[in-house]
Amino acid sequence: MPQSAEKVLDHAPLFREPDYQDMFARKKAMFECGVPDAKVAEQAEYTKSWDYREKNLARESLVVNPAKACQPLGAVFAAAGFEKTMSFVHGSQGCVAYYRSHLSRHFKEPCSAVSSSMTEDAAVFGGLNNMVDGLANTYALYTPKMIAVSTTCMAEVIGDDLQSFIQTAKDKGSVPKEFDVPFAHTPAFVGSHVDGYDVMVKGVLENFWKSAERTPNGKINIVPGFDGFCVGNNRELKRLLDTIGVEYTILSDASDQFDTPSDGGFRMYDGGTKIDDVKAALNAKATVSLQHWNTRKTLEYAETFGQETASFSYPMGVRATDELLMKISALSGKAIPEAIRLERGRLIDAMADSQAHLHGKKYAIYGDPDFVTAMARFVMETGGEPIHCLATNGKKEWEEELRAVLDSSPFGKDAKIWAGKDLWHLRSLLFTEPVDMLIGSSYGKYLERDTGTPLLRLTFPIFDRHHHHRFPLWGYQGGLRVLTAILDKVFDKLDADTIVPGKTDYSFDLTR
Amino acid sequence: MSSQARVQALFQEPACDKNQAKDATARKKGCSKPLTPGAAAGGCAFDGAKIVLQPVTDVAHLIHGPLACEGNSWDNRGAASSGPGLWRISFTSDLTELDVVMGQGEKKLFKAIREIVEAHAPPAVFVYSTCVTALIGDDLDAVCFRASERFGTPVVPVHAPGFVGSKNLGNKLAGEALLDHVIGSHEPDDVSPMDVNILGEFNLSGEFWMVKPLLQKLGMRVRACIPGDARYLDIAGAHTARANMMVCSTALINLARKMEERWGIPYFEGSFYGVSDTSDALRQLAALLVREGAERSLIDRTEILIAEEEARAWARLECYRERLSAKRVLLNTGGVKSWSVVAALQEIGIEIVGTSTKKSTDEDKARIRALLNDEKHAFDAMAPRDLYAMLIAGKADIMLSGGRTQFIALKAKTPWLDINQERHHPYAGYDGMVELVRQIDLAIHNPIWADVRAPAPWDLPANSKLDAFDGDADYVAYSRKKFAATTADDMGEC
Repeated sequence: MPQSAEKVLDHAPLFREPDYQDMFARKKAMFECGVPDAKVAEQAEYTKSWDYREKNLARESLVVNPAKACQPLGAVFAAAGFEKTMSFVHGSQGCVAYYRSHLSRHFKEPCSAVSSSMTEDAAVFGGLNNMVDGLANTYALYTPKMIAVSTTCMAEVIGDDLQSFIQTAKDKGSVPKEFDVPFAHTPAFVGSHVDGYDVMVKGVLENFWKSAERTPNGKINIVPGFDGFCVGNNRELKRLLDTIGVEYTILSDASDQFDTPSDGGFRMYDGGTKIDDVKAALNAKATVSLQHWNTRKTLEYAETFGQETASFSYPMGVRATDELLMKISALSGKAIPEAIRLERGRLIDAMADSQAHLHGKKYAIYGDPDFVTAMARFVMETGGEPIHCLATNGKKEWEEELRAVLDSSPFGKDAKIWAGKDLWHLRSLLFTEPVDMLIGSSYGKYLERDTGTPLLRLTFPIFDRHHHHRFPLWGYQGGLRVLTAILDKVFDKLDADTIVPGKTDYSFDLTR
Repeated sequence: MSSQARVQALFQEPACDKNQAKDATARKKGCSKPLTPGAAAGGCAFDGAKIVLQPVTDVAHLIHGPLACEGNSWDNRGAASSGPGLWRISFTSDLTELDVVMGQGEKKLFKAIREIVEAHAPPAVFVYSTCVTALIGDDLDAVCFRASERFGTPVVPVHAPGFVGSKNLGNKLAGEALLDHVIGSHEPDDVSPMDVNILGEFNLSGEFWMVKPLLQKLGMRVRACIPGDARYLDIAGAHTARANMMVCSTALINLARKMEERWGIPYFEGSFYGVSDTSDALRQLAALLVREGAERSLIDRTEILIAEEEARAWARLECYRERLSAKRVLLNTGGVKSWSVVAALQEIGIEIVGTSTKKSTDEDKARIRALLNDEKHAFDAMAPRDLYAMLIAGKADIMLSGGRTQFIALKAKTPWLDINQERHHPYAGYDGMVELVRQIDLAIHNPIWADVRAPAPWDLPANSKLDAFDGDADYVAYSRKKFAATTADDMGEC
């Protein structure tokens, strides 16, 4: 055996040693009773065909590799955007561990959230006791300023009523009567994380606004929506708004919560929208959402108080940023300053400099509905053609909205919209109608491996690359970052295609 | 021979009309305009020599001087090699202060050559002098001669230190180095009456490979393409070819003329850019070969090939007619341009609103004038401020030029296509012309231009109540001033 105490090999090189390779081959031949390699290869080849694609798209019940997450994940993210707020998920604890690890793996930051740890007895007799004990413990252990309650499927299936449970817990002294415990029902079997985000933000607003009186002022509320790039994006957003001189409140701002410095102190809570600001936000002139499909209920709620509302689809690229800034300018009556005009000019200049490398490139884009719409739009601004636009959590209305966007440009004419489809569908699509680049999350890496389509990670979750979320995608500055990322992929591909010395390197050029 | 004597000899060029038209005093000053200290200018003689010789792929190119000469010119052009990669490795003697003061340059150079030969065993080493080593008086010839003897490998001195003059002069000095040390030093054993050389073809983006199959189909053998994708021994045996085609005459006219004088190889000046120029080049090559003893049938076969290829090219260009008809193109370049490109673009309905004729022969100029409706559309060279004024006034839909003027176009909100040395697409031959038109189509129809031309939405009159920026008249004036201050018109180099 090649392994020895003198030089212990890691598993990766170890299993490539001839001894192991022989052993694997013998094991396969003698014990695995598998299908012959040729048959496997034939079947693998078949999955690349149009025939298989038809069957794949005809799937009715089975979902394979969905590009969406569940409502409570969105709720936990939303709650993390408020001052000293602890997420309390009523239901089973395993679910909550998933949300924490999901957010932690993406942001490379600790993520605190607790559950009511419901077990079998709670499922049979109802989770009230878990709520009563849970809130008391959370309040005592983590000294939050607010506890945001959401639910897992378990609590939803048995039909626990959060409002009355929380009231009972308060009556029993789990937390002081005046302590803020906003809540939202977030069953995973309805909608996706973007809806969970929506109802949690709405739940927080309801908690503070429902019995308050509105005295309108000129401020603007901004709801960013579920966003894996919130660290970079929200900071960029604030910079832009400050440059214009607008008075604003961001409702749910997790940029500091998921980007705490290493300076010797542990911050269970950092940053976030101040509770007082949430209360005062009722008086704002308008509430603006940056991700329409993340905030439908929230905006509806704001409208009932007489606030103006407006929603956008992830303000990325030239036009999308233009539209947002114009709206902000119109609402606030503030002119857009020269500094921002220059930023806009610089983005356009950069896009013009590189247009020859992007013109006619074909893309497959997947992710949340707002992201896919924004990405398709930006790609078209660079002369690229979105071919596949897929959102597992996209619905018919989103499809119609995106169709209108695609129809607005000749570069969108070949685009197909795949609402409700999953990444295994996308695999077939990439084989049968190949593209130059795939834009999505880390999960796309398996598609990149199978189909050889270069993957650009630009949306949540990004587990296998670090720190991307620290740089904005929004605004003109963010546009530069997206542009550069796309170009890097194009050039990396070009280099990879010309890199073999003496074989393909005749155009392995220094200047591109 | 001293540098001065070598340079003065180059300033006598019987094969150049311009040169012959000058009087003796003017001739002594050389071809390029005298450099103006303080004004922006193109590259130096070293750069020119390096550009001409570096595409020779199996040779080690050793730059004798401090680091920067090589550091700045390393791999700066997209010439392509079908085999060896040695030409892309950056070799320099990297002289330091102590070397300069103590006069250790020659020793260091000799050792550097030895290390190259030991490590890479190239068929030859080209050694380039630079300002510093020429000024301190390193005897390049002696070191190269001694090294050749000692290591049994040809070591070729290239005398083109930057200060002797312009980039163009450096091109010619490189040609001289080939004439003095390389061409004629090897006798190939497979000489045939169908052998040709292509001179001044750089194989940028591999574009000579679009043409070579045409020559091969006619039975012609390219003995040496100098310098694009060339091998040392092919150049060394180039004197055995029967005909030379001179592609970029401004760079290497001395090479063609002297090969004719020394070895009796006839040459013509031609171009592979544009449909009819490509046909013309094939025709002339065939005619020269037949004159030198090749079979007469070559001429007929050439005509058949031309007819086929032209028909195919026009058919492929046809689909762009609708998209590009009435689009206005401004050609501003010293390199890829000829009346033939103009003719091909016009054929599919593109309007030429201007073309520079800076490096064209009188004959070319006459043809261009004949093709253009308005004589004023042909200009010798255009100053950046005039280019800017023309583009900002919206007089062209696209500018085709070299990289150095690209930003004038972009800042004047006009699409631009690189057709000089840094381009990434091959434009030579029939297929190359189709590619050029395709690239024009892509560049013109990129959606970013609408954004480039439109003001920010809040600057639109309809939104004027939000206008923070008081009109852009001053801004434009300021931009003009910036460009006006630049006086260099030596922009699009070949």
